Amino acid sequence: MRDKKRVVITGMGVICATAGTVGEFLASLRDGRRGIREVTLFDCSGYPSQMAAQIEGYDPLDFFDKKELRRLSRVDQFVLIAAQEALTDAEMRPQRGDGGHIGVCLGVGAGGMLSAEKYHRQLLEGKRPRPSLLLPFIPSYATDRLAERYHLQGLRTTITTACSSSASSIAYGAELIRWGEADVMACGGGEALSELTFGGFCSLKIMDSLPCRPFDARRQGLSLGEGAAVLILEEKERALGRGAKIYGELLGYSLGGESFHITAPEETGKEEARIMNEALQDAGIRPQEVDYINAHGTGTILNDQVETLAIKEVWGADAYQLPISSTKSMIGHCLGAAGGLEAAASLLAIHHHLIPPTAGFEQGDEVCNLDYCPQAREGKVDIALSNSFAFGGNCTTLIFGKEDL
Amino acid sequence: MGAVVITGVGVISPVGIGKEEFWKGLIEGRDGIEEIIAFDTAPFRSKKGGLVKGFNPKAFIPPPKIRRLDRASQFAIAASQMALEDAGLTIGVDIPAERTGIILGSGFCGVVNSEAFHRGQVQRGPGDLNPILFPNTVPNAAASNASIELGIKGPNSTVVQSFCTAEMALLFGCQQLLAKRADVIVTGGVDELSPILYRGWNALRLTARDAGDGERSAPYDLKRNGFIPGEGAGIMILEREADALRRRARIYGKINGLATAGGASHPEEKVARSISGALKRGGMETIDFIDGAGNSSPHLDAVETKGLRLALSDRCLDIPLSSLKSMLGEGIASGGIRIAADLLILERGVIPPTINYEYPDPLCGLRVVREGLNASIRTILHTGISLDGTYMTVLLGRADGVF
Repeated sequence: MRDKKRVVITGMGVICATAGTVGEFLASLRDGRRGIREVTLFDCSGYPSQMAAQIEGYDPLDFFDKKELRRLSRVDQFVLIAAQEALTDAEMRPQRGDGGHIGVCLGVGAGGMLSAEKYHRQLLEGKRPRPSLLLPFIPSYATDRLAERYHLQGLRTTITTACSSSASSIAYGAELIRWGEADVMACGGGEALSELTFGGFCSLKIMDSLPCRPFDARRQGLSLGEGAAVLILEEKERALGRGAKIYGELLGYSLGGESFHITAPEETGKEEARIMNEALQDAGIRPQEVDYINAHGTGTILNDQVETLAIKEVWGADAYQLPISSTKSMIGHCLGAAGGLEAAASLLAIHHHLIPPTAGFEQGDEVCNLDYCPQAREGKVDIALSNSFAFGGNCTTLIFGKEDL
Repeated sequence: MGAVVITGVGVISPVGIGKEEFWKGLIEGRDGIEEIIAFDTAPFRSKKGGLVKGFNPKAFIPPPKIRRLDRASQFAIAASQMALEDAGLTIGVDIPAERTGIILGSGFCGVVNSEAFHRGQVQRGPGDLNPILFPNTVPNAAASNASIELGIKGPNSTVVQSFCTAEMALLFGCQQLLAKRADVIVTGGVDELSPILYRGWNALRLTARDAGDGERSAPYDLKRNGFIPGEGAGIMILEREADALRRRARIYGKINGLATAGGASHPEEKVARSISGALKRGGMETIDFIDGAGNSSPHLDAVETKGLRLALSDRCLDIPLSSLKSMLGEGIASGGIRIAADLLILERGVIPPTINYEYPDPLCGLRVVREGLNASIRTILHTGISLDGTYMTVLLGRADGVF
């Protein structure tokens, strides 16, 4: 892999329940701030859980004018806000006509579902809904809005692998840079809460009625979240040449399928272990070189158990010394945005020597007995590994490293 | 890009299921589009669709599993199975599961389940929700179900990019192979035409309607007034050329070049840029056939043909052009079925017709093929044109070709 072009991250933008900027995100990770509260976006009083990491106190008119807003669903707004911050952070301000070298590869989960379900509800109630509510339903809609609004005229594409979508988008975006299809790619993704996904996870009985407690013995399921993360991936020589700030390098990745079950992970963890091993091999590092794992850690009984088993399989006895955390404990499971937000958390860990916590973690169980970091820690992180596992057995592992490793 | 070849195809289409029936339909100019009776079209401006007829999932999937799989997933499983068989590959025997990947284009496949699930939420409330529906609401359900049924453990992803969805999946499939992240990639596109999707296309006023000449998919025709939604699956087996040669596989063709361009303003220039980009990579001297993306929409067909003329100048007046969407209709991933057709055209040397081309649009003005045409085809230029500003060009060539 090292003979190919190398890919670094030179800009980030984040919006989620606990933060509206990367700076706030860093502070919230340091403080272990939890953003999971009662949902107000729609009525979920009849569901077994009413909790999610909803973005509150958000007024779209602070960012967009009324005319533009008519064509933007909530997820598109989040993506555009995060993208603006990321491009500014990377000191890229393409003007009309000169953004040809910048592409977009986003990961999207339910995407414009909130908007489409509004259309569908009105239809079922015998009303005449506005057809433009349907526009954001195509998963590539946010990608196109991002490309158009910021004049990015390179390749644009959209990956949808449910909960690993935006992690996969980073892998594919990096591959495009390695093969010279683009110099710069805006990757990551977005998600907005919707009644369908909320009810959907309730129907599977994997939602915690309390804020989720990943890896804790009392965990009862996940808490959903929403937000967006956009990362600017750039060819390394180009970034060095222009003296850009570099958060870290994407050292390697693996995209794999478990070929097991549409919702459940393979229970021994051997498939997840295989995918982590492939990513380590791709990055050309030994497991012992990893300083921190940003776990998928959803808080469901099965996920946390299997992920822990997989980590033990790869790291053996060293697993017990390895700091592991689930940032979903603070920002919820942001589905299509999860991998992007967790990549951002992993890069902040590297750039600011900070291991984010699994907030609220008190006690593990007989399987989940690793070091899940209930409090944030200061400490050198040269290499961070981030897991994203999804419905369909779509697993993605990303490995990030310090710039001058 | 390096050398990636196609060694298998599997097709489920409105003109035929399986590559032979599909091919027969294409060269006959069989109209796969018909009045929809499966659901009520009374509220809509359009009445027709390119539905797949006579698909029997039992021929491909064990019956107890069929109930749990939506139509799109069934299409994906069946077409992938046909393509693997066509390539002479058995996963786990000829090729390890971990070295086989699946990268499909599909965007609206989960919408059927989403609609049913959400209808339950609205009409029955939160107390009584069907847990079987929700997992298959995700757009990656088709590829994932195929990976589960066929035992594929390598890279597993679903790609969406407006009407260039399948072409984009092909690009990523090629990259994963060239990066040696897999040895075999199952790629292509899957669409399911559901009542809710049909409603959506109609609500957005993008579909064809009867304005005196019948409701037709009439690419490049002066009287075209919208596309006709279609469905199906077109799946290809990709391998690195060296591997395919080593195992003496039958090679349908080679990906000679692939390029994209983006941007909603001056779309014809972007189309031209993607064509020139692909030609530059492919190093091709001649183009024997243009597989046009023309989908009968007034704007997109004009953009495409202007782009072709910008990129190829007068040359393109001599190159036969055909749009298979005249027979198949449009699905956002119909590029998969079209690429499968391209490979059969390379193998068999017949150009299928563009049906319903009655009143040539001078604005389009290219050499549209109205009747099937025998010709030696060594190279094909395949265009992808989308609504939202993504344009793609794929150049395919015979593997034994000397350009």
